[in-house]
Amino acid sequence: MALIPGYRAALDPFSKEAKEIAEAAPSFDKIPRDVVDLAVTRLKWSDRERALNPSPEAVNSEVLSFYLMSQALASVSYPYSREVHFAGQSMKNTVRYRIYDLFKKGEEKFCLETIARIVKINELDVAKPRVAGVEIPQQDIFKIRDKRLQKDGVVEVDSWLLPQYLPKYAVHWTGLSPILRHGRLDMTDMYLVGGWAVLTTRDLWDIYAELIGAKTEEYIQSVYERMLETSAPPLPVLTEVGGRISSLVPKAPESRGGFSMQGGKLRPEFFPPCINLVLGGVGSGMRNFAIVMLLTSFLTYARFPPRGRLVTKISDTTDDISPLKEEVAPLIFEAADKCNPPFFRDQPQEKTNVYYHMGLGMTTEPKIGDSGRSKWYRCPNCTKVQISAPPLCRPDEFCRSIKNPLTYYFRKKSESYKNGGS
Amino acid sequence: MFRKSTAEERIRFYREEWNRRDVPDFIMHTLSLREFGFDLDGSGPNCRYNQFMMAEQLEDFLKNKAPYSAYASVALYEKPSKREDWLKAELVFDIDAKDLPLKPCKCSAGEVCEKCIEEARVVAAGLADTLKNDLGLRNVNFVYSGRGFHIRVFDDSVMQLGQSERSQVINYITGATVPPQMTMNLGYSRVFRERAARAFERLDESKVTEVVKSKRVVQKIFSEREKILGIIKSGRIEDISNVEGVGLETMKKLLGQIAKLNSGLTDGKVTVDTKRILRLPSSLHTGVSMKCILVRSLDSFKLEDAVPKFMREGGA
Repeated sequence: MALIPGYRAALDPFSKEAKEIAEAAPSFDKIPRDVVDLAVTRLKWSDRERALNPSPEAVNSEVLSFYLMSQALASVSYPYSREVHFAGQSMKNTVRYRIYDLFKKGEEKFCLETIARIVKINELDVAKPRVAGVEIPQQDIFKIRDKRLQKDGVVEVDSWLLPQYLPKYAVHWTGLSPILRHGRLDMTDMYLVGGWAVLTTRDLWDIYAELIGAKTEEYIQSVYERMLETSAPPLPVLTEVGGRISSLVPKAPESRGGFSMQGGKLRPEFFPPCINLVLGGVGSGMRNFAIVMLLTSFLTYARFPPRGRLVTKISDTTDDISPLKEEVAPLIFEAADKCNPPFFRDQPQEKTNVYYHMGLGMTTEPKIGDSGRSKWYRCPNCTKVQISAPPLCRPDEFCRSIKNPLTYYFRKKSESYKNGGS
Repeated sequence: MFRKSTAEERIRFYREEWNRRDVPDFIMHTLSLREFGFDLDGSGPNCRYNQFMMAEQLEDFLKNKAPYSAYASVALYEKPSKREDWLKAELVFDIDAKDLPLKPCKCSAGEVCEKCIEEARVVAAGLADTLKNDLGLRNVNFVYSGRGFHIRVFDDSVMQLGQSERSQVINYITGATVPPQMTMNLGYSRVFRERAARAFERLDESKVTEVVKSKRVVQKIFSEREKILGIIKSGRIEDISNVEGVGLETMKKLLGQIAKLNSGLTDGKVTVDTKRILRLPSSLHTGVSMKCILVRSLDSFKLEDAVPKFMREGGA
């Protein structure tokens, strides 16, 4: 069957073709039930199921289910969580399968055009590859081939398969920064000459799939940050889909990424600069915002992150109030005491306000059963911090890629795990 | 050489010798986008958030204040005086002679001598070659900092990179990871072999005993030094079977230790910090009484070029 022009959306959900489909789509609460189910089942696909019928209807469902999946995860999870990583991996596997499938069907040109939209590709002369004016030695060509064969566990190759294992493309390494950033590719694994990474056809397909996987995770992060800005609860269909996806995520801790980092004790070494400033106490004009609005919400969501279901109160994430009393509250009260003048000595009623903002109602002795007595306030975005308390915003280099202090915390924590931290 | 300057010497340097033409173009052309920091009295770079719209303003400041140290940010900002609206940052590497993992001299900790400055120069040249040849980077500048060298890459293709990517660049150019395939003619395989061979030649027993516990094996490694060096240079580590008394496992431990040492060739904290301030080329390094200068060619670098007039005229 011939490819339709919009099929590119099936290989890149961030392409203009995919965005046009998403923009023309109805609101998620009016979306057909089969697309809702697809947003969940796409994460369970076997390889064969990843293939997509090149019809406009199938591509439409594909794109809508991708965006529903992403927004659903943003509403019941958090950046760098197991759920988000799971979705990124799944998207990578889907794109990888489709690229290989198209290639087998003789659509190499279409694949290359799609890839060339997001990363600059140089096609090499297979007989005598040269990169940046340097000829690749024949021995290296064989070693690159053998390395890839070994990776795929291939012992024997026929004349059809062999070209896929020979260096045929070069991409500029700086175009791969999203996957370098996510640790999905190691620079020392690349064969770099004059700034170009020399790749076999198979390497190119894999690297493209990794790029889409990384972009998926970054997209879910951006939706999460946008959602923190709004006070409206997410649509029921988002929490339903998010909950169903979460139940699919393997529970056993794995070594990579966010797979072993949910919840757990607070790790102050990963706090962003604004939170560290508040922990040291602030002046009278900023105390209310800093302690009640920012620190309280940051610490409670960092300690009790959502775990795959709609979270409106602390008891949605835990049955045990003791971490809140023993870990979270002391940090808040200590910071309040360091304020000038000390916040609660000056305004003792604000102590109950802290618990109120945790969703525990007006109390000074909270119990888990109090959850939901008031609204559990979300952590304000960086722009809100900059407007409400400009001196607190002293961004470091990490702040550049995030829009909410919580994302900073989850990302640093995730990177620490990736680097072998405990 | 390498003694602290007096306050009078600083004043003399900035009033009589400092010249704005010594500030490199890559800084001068982006002057108003950089944050400047100063250590006015030796207590640390506490005078931050300075912005100069014109070279004359910088000149006035330096001549009037004669600071203990002067720094400029590697980052460019829309609002450097607030350190806000970050635009991009140079990719920088700090090769500090006093912190080299394998020093060729007997300098005590925190000290430098001409020998270790020379070692830092050679290290900087090697790292820069990899930046140019493997990573294809252009506009790679060298600065003699007073205690070592800075490599400052002002190439748009890398100025938006974040911490993780910059950290991966360090691993690549220093040879901080043992590659599974060590015998390729080009690429990281070659970088690692070159760095590893150089480190092995400088390795002393104490560094080897950290990973190889048997004294007999350690002695064997040093008695067969030439053979092992040849194996590292060729990348065929399985050839270690030809060296009696040193097994493949020992060889792997040795390479792991070398990779670890090589990761310290540059100060990684400097590279990953995209808001770092670095010593201003043209300024005086008061701690060692040397000028921080742009080095046009590392091959022809002479330490004398960095000696300020007050030292040449008998101040040493």
